[in-house]
Amino acid sequence: MMNAVCKAWATRMNSSRVSLHPAFVLHSRPYRDTSLLLDIFTEQHGRIAAIARGAKQPRSKFNGILQPFTGLLVSWSGTGDLVTLTAAEQAQRTGKLQGNAMLAAFYLNELLIQLMQRHDPHPELYKNYRISLSELSEGKNNELTLRRFECYLLQEIGYGLILDHDVESGEPVQPDRYYCYHPEHGPVITDGDAQESRPLVVQGKTLLALQSGAIEARDVFLEAKHFMRAIIHHQLGGRPIKTRELKLNKVL
Amino acid sequence: MSGSILINRLIESLRCLPGVGPKSAQRMAYHLLEHNRNGASQLAADLLEAIEKIGHCQSCRTLSELEKCEICANLRRDHSMLCIVESPADVQVIEQIADYRGMYFVLMGHLSPLDGIGPMELGLDVLAKRLDSGEVKELILATNPTVEGEATAHYIAEMAANRKIKATRIAHGVPIGGELEYVNSTTLSHAFNGRVEI
Repeated sequence: MMNAVCKAWATRMNSSRVSLHPAFVLHSRPYRDTSLLLDIFTEQHGRIAAIARGAKQPRSKFNGILQPFTGLLVSWSGTGDLVTLTAAEQAQRTGKLQGNAMLAAFYLNELLIQLMQRHDPHPELYKNYRISLSELSEGKNNELTLRRFECYLLQEIGYGLILDHDVESGEPVQPDRYYCYHPEHGPVITDGDAQESRPLVVQGKTLLALQSGAIEARDVFLEAKHFMRAIIHHQLGGRPIKTRELKLNKVL
Repeated sequence: MSGSILINRLIESLRCLPGVGPKSAQRMAYHLLEHNRNGASQLAADLLEAIEKIGHCQSCRTLSELEKCEICANLRRDHSMLCIVESPADVQVIEQIADYRGMYFVLMGHLSPLDGIGPMELGLDVLAKRLDSGEVKELILATNPTVEGEATAHYIAEMAANRKIKATRIAHGVPIGGELEYVNSTTLSHAFNGRVEI
């Protein structure tokens, strides 16, 4: 009897309650008849899995709120891998994502889900994600936003790219030379000409542009895109990016 | 739980229905066995027949036991209007309430890249053929007002634009009899953007 009481008390002490915490829904899927299983990205607690009970019932307090790309304030309780959502409200007005910007935003969510570990707090990445979404909704250059976010994400999860010096010689990267990029190490100068077929051979100026975030220039823009695609592909261990397939399918 | 193996099996089977837990399943099973055996055998026969015969309509993909569902086969309806919905239940709702005499196309879901549901899973290749036939003059996009529903609507709108077919999206706004104070902010901002002159 005493044991049971102690156990109940300990559980209560351990169980955490978080109130009105900034978060975004990354993905949701139906669970049982009326509930939703959510993958949410919170500011201080990183990515967590949560269940919103009864969220699909007509009179649910969550009705219409738990949508991706909307800044929310969420409350939850519980410990362990699956917490229970107790309240959610919209935090601020969020811009409307249209068309390709929405596909780009889905891509950001897919990257976060695939690359970010659960329960790993990344407050700066959260801020960057929020800014990226608002850039996408303002209809700025989507690709630019995506490249910057990709670089930032890799840096935050501990796979930051070395872009400014040759890892073998230690020399600074020269804009007009070509570099062979080893995903695990970094750039090494190469003597060969531009080998277009191999995305991991890149011009120095592309690396420097990615470093500074200024990749608008036409001559580095496309190369930066192929380079980042190859790097992300490597990080995912070859798993396909489904959002990209959707974009490629756009032939119907 | 009773000792009967058959009854237990029936209770377990009834639980595959949405919203039915162990308690309701038990109540249903005993009700059928005690008070309504005729109803039960009718239900069993209808279920079997439905499972065997009901497939998808070839032109709109809704559930139907015919190759072409009744709506698609009805020549008195307006074949130049095509309303895109996510599920057969949506067709029912629109038929009951709205004053719409056009045709439907049922996606049986929405685009959800992260779950691997792409254009092919939604039969958009079938839709593309239908649009290519030149019969359709207007598409009404009545997918759900969720982020995925919007993405789906956008994707189909582009398909229509490529073929120079007019595409319209159903309006979103404040529910009739609702109070502005309790409407969520996204809906309210939609309602403001889509305001109409009176």
